[in-house]
Amino acid sequence: MIELKTISKVYDNNIVALQNINLNIQEGELVVLKGVSGSGKSTILSLIAGLLKPTSGDVLVDNKHISKLPDHFCSDYRRDTVGFIFQKYNLIPTLSVQENILLPLVPLNPDEKELHVKLENVMNMFQIEHKKDVIVKNLSGGEQQRTAIARANVNNPKIILADEPTANLDEKLSKEFIKILQSLKKLKKTIIVATHDPLFFDLDFVDKMIELHNGKVVCC
Amino acid sequence: MLLTPEIVTISILNIFFVIFASIAFYFSLKIVLKYDYNETTTLQYTLEKQGYLVATIIKFIFYIKVILFIFFIFTLDNISTILPGAMCGAGVVNATPYGTYLLILKIINLYIFAYWIALHNEDMHSENQKYLKLKFQIFLLAYVLLLVEIILESIMFFSIDTKSVVDCCGAIFSTTDGTYMSTLLNIKHSILLSLFYGVFFLMFVAYILKNKYLYALLNLLFIIISLLSLIAYFGTYIYELPTHHCPFCLLQKDYNYVGYFLYIFLFIGTFQGLLVGLIDFSKEQENKKYKISLFFNTLYVLLISYYPLSYYIKNGVWL
Repeated sequence: MIELKTISKVYDNNIVALQNINLNIQEGELVVLKGVSGSGKSTILSLIAGLLKPTSGDVLVDNKHISKLPDHFCSDYRRDTVGFIFQKYNLIPTLSVQENILLPLVPLNPDEKELHVKLENVMNMFQIEHKKDVIVKNLSGGEQQRTAIARANVNNPKIILADEPTANLDEKLSKEFIKILQSLKKLKKTIIVATHDPLFFDLDFVDKMIELHNGKVVCC
Repeated sequence: MLLTPEIVTISILNIFFVIFASIAFYFSLKIVLKYDYNETTTLQYTLEKQGYLVATIIKFIFYIKVILFIFFIFTLDNISTILPGAMCGAGVVNATPYGTYLLILKIINLYIFAYWIALHNEDMHSENQKYLKLKFQIFLLAYVLLLVEIILESIMFFSIDTKSVVDCCGAIFSTTDGTYMSTLLNIKHSILLSLFYGVFFLMFVAYILKNKYLYALLNLLFIIISLLSLIAYFGTYIYELPTHHCPFCLLQKDYNYVGYFLYIFLFIGTFQGLLVGLIDFSKEQENKKYKISLFFNTLYVLLISYYPLSYYIKNGVWL
């Protein structure tokens, strides 16, 4: 489903982020990318999300050349296929929980009824319904994380990308997040988590563990 | 040498066009020679990025050039007031040996530049940018034509002598001259009108048959026949004078600037019609182009036909 072929990425300031990476991720797999900061984990997620173009190589998702897509097609692909969970949640602090969750749907201009159904579904799934009218900046870290996960799933994407999702959470909340990941995997979502949190390293439902170092795969 | 504010404006813009178009030409050549969609090397990604930027530069140059065409016509008309003997833009065009070639080239370029913009828009709406290489190939040709146009335009403006007496449009578009123009003007009106309305009718037939190549071809014919019939026949009814055949005077205030409307309708109608045959649109897009083309061509036919009809209704005779 997701294929990275001889991917290299060099940023404009000549920092080599990835060197000759080959990866193959099947539909419904949960993959953990581990490695220290600067090892290239986030760059891989950004390439799969179509947020970045590689310097060379190809990214294929369902046989579609993501790295070759013009920008506005990349936006459509991201909106329809990818849910992104960020380390710092990237929520809009002055909007309420439900407004933040509904943001990805705004460009689709759906009807009120459809909007309401989707909103109810994700808020129930991630147990944030009781906070739906609360302004996001007044939420705890765990609640903000659940809001971010709900937003990433509101469009029912096939791929969930999570970049250091537990970096700002304590151990209890991190374990809650892992449970959420497990439930998403049961829904046959393809999930890729970039993390250096040891909590992820011994999970029995993880299909692949890929270790990166200096932009290269050192261990699978 | 003639330097009016309009000519200074056009000349300054031309300098910018040459600079930016030359930069775009260099990168376009690189893309045409080296771009391959199936390759995923660093060079290809670099070319893709450069292609996006260069296409944006070209798009803006061509957008401005298309709009500038109207300004050029306006400038010719304005200059005519300071050239002894000239009554309208026709006198200015005829004041130097380059004017006619420049005007013909400008009309051809107008269609080519507009075609490039349409091709680029279509390319930006295709997932695999199927027209990327083609549009840069066309730009290589358009660049040469653009340069020739700018050179001709500069030579023409700089060689206009405001002290020499030039021909007025009455002499240029005379039916008694024995020139190519007089031969064209002496074509039987019945033949000309049959061709004009016949081609217009056939466009509807081609639309119903959804034969896009025939439709495009008919639009090409329609440009030529429309201009010819405008000069030889319809113009005389706009001026209400059987000897007045000028295609420029109708741009003046005395005739309510009707020329601008006529030429714009004709350009939009025929250009959209040509696009139907030149670009592989989606069915929905193609249908939209057909309708826009037919709408503007019909507007042109209605507006131009109004003049002889209203003349006949008022006077009971044809000119």
